[in-house]
Amino acid sequence: MASGVVTGGRGRIRTALLFLLPLALFYAVFYLYSFIYVGVASFLNTDATLRNPEYVGLDNYELPLTHDRFYIAMFNTIAFALVAILAAVTIGFFLAVVLSTKMRGHQFFYAVFFLPALMPMSLVASVFAVMLASRFGTVNEILRFVGLDEFTQRWLGDPTLAWISVAMIFVYVIGLPIMYYTADLSTINISLLEAAVVDGAGPWPLFRLILFPLTSAARKTIILSILLGTFRAFEIVYLSTGGGPSGRTEIAGTYLYNFATSGVNVGYVAAASVIVLLIALAISLVNLTLQKRADARSGA
Amino acid sequence: MKILVALGSILLVMAVVWLVPIFSALNRSLVFNGIENYTSVLTEPIGGIHIWQTFLNSGIIAIGHATLVVGISSLAGFAFAKLDFPYRNLIFYLAIICLAVPGTAVIVPLFRILDTLELLDTYWAVILPETALTLPFGVLLMRNYFGNLPDTYMESATIDGAGMFTVFRRIYLPLARPAIIPLGVLAMMWSFQDFLLPLMFITDPNLTTAAMAVSSFQEYLSFTPDNIGKYNASLVLLALPALVLIIFGQRFITQGLTSGGIKE
Repeated sequence: MASGVVTGGRGRIRTALLFLLPLALFYAVFYLYSFIYVGVASFLNTDATLRNPEYVGLDNYELPLTHDRFYIAMFNTIAFALVAILAAVTIGFFLAVVLSTKMRGHQFFYAVFFLPALMPMSLVASVFAVMLASRFGTVNEILRFVGLDEFTQRWLGDPTLAWISVAMIFVYVIGLPIMYYTADLSTINISLLEAAVVDGAGPWPLFRLILFPLTSAARKTIILSILLGTFRAFEIVYLSTGGGPSGRTEIAGTYLYNFATSGVNVGYVAAASVIVLLIALAISLVNLTLQKRADARSGA
Repeated sequence: MKILVALGSILLVMAVVWLVPIFSALNRSLVFNGIENYTSVLTEPIGGIHIWQTFLNSGIIAIGHATLVVGISSLAGFAFAKLDFPYRNLIFYLAIICLAVPGTAVIVPLFRILDTLELLDTYWAVILPETALTLPFGVLLMRNYFGNLPDTYMESATIDGAGMFTVFRRIYLPLARPAIIPLGVLAMMWSFQDFLLPLMFITDPNLTTAAMAVSSFQEYLSFTPDNIGKYNASLVLLALPALVLIIFGQRFITQGLTSGGIKE
């Protein structure tokens, strides 16, 4: 993409700076300041204003790193991401392929699977919370209605069921993976598929040997966007289980939020933030490298 | 043929499963008082705020956020694609790596910044940090789009900065419309989705956004069985701003997401 870029002396640099000035201002105020703040505060024992700081070295890092809840939160973040990724590359892939045949009613089905992902997650999580509530919850009401009273559960109160419920919400918002697959599938040459069908390829080989390998670019995008998205996630857990029961469904987002709003030493919060930021930036770096390689290949 | 029937049945079953939460919300929204739940939510304030006001607040914040993101990303994306300056690629990659920054990891410093600027409890307290968090995506999208536009028009720019800005505004910016509209629609959608920033930086009930009202309404409506219907009616209604945007902007949302790279 470096083709034909205008080159020149100091005037050109000044022009470029003017175009970048608003961006630089936002980055300096919001990113640079925030990174320096959490970096510095992670070595201090202090309050949010950083007044009367006391240097404590790496002590603050010891707390999250010896806090069971932190490990549970990190484990859950990655585990929920894996569940969502698994659902995306199987169910999501299947749905995208079936819907891209453009059969009758495909737009309706596309909307059903796609819309929830674009809705505010606070809404989705709250609807699940209502649906799974033990009193007046739709799931338990239906079970009672059909006479299966003994199957009613405290869906969000039992640790295992609550975990599965949150995982289900992460699977429910499968819309973006379907969209990425659909975009990728629309570039596949139809005659290739027709030839395979004429040669007698059944649906399973068609999926596995032709469509699956041809959508590897979409798959990479999906895996990375789900990973990053899960580290950004917050209200999906906050408004369904609140991280409970007793921290068993906590994720990185709710852990940091609960910590930050509990009024403990800001240094602890900062240390935990630094760890989460480093993990997220590492994932982003992997993404960037892959994208750079893809750019180089396509000659863009 | 048998296979088509099988695939169709699987699809149908899955669609039914996916519709259960929506059915649940609609069904619960009519319990106890039927349609009156809706009229009540639409006409009476809940916890000191009318639901209409939350729509308005969400709209104002979404438009402010989208305007800033589109403006700043266009300028910066143009610079990264068409202008020459030292360390251009390094600066670009540093800018877009911030895509990964989770809002929850920086809420304490964000709070400090907004407190210092005396912006807490204003629309800006949400618009500005939202803009910062969306800019990496916007810069990536606009840089890619400008990069694919021909350089030939650049030659009409004179040496000085004003000339370059005229070329940007008169020629490249109008040409970039197919990227600007999706970016604007996406920025609005993400703003409608945002829950964390209004939760943290807005305490004035009059500034509550629709996404945030999902939880603040619950505080006021969850205590009696009678209120369960009203709460669910409010959930259904609070979906409306996002739903309207999605229905009219779906094409742009798909375009923006598939051309810009990743973000969720």
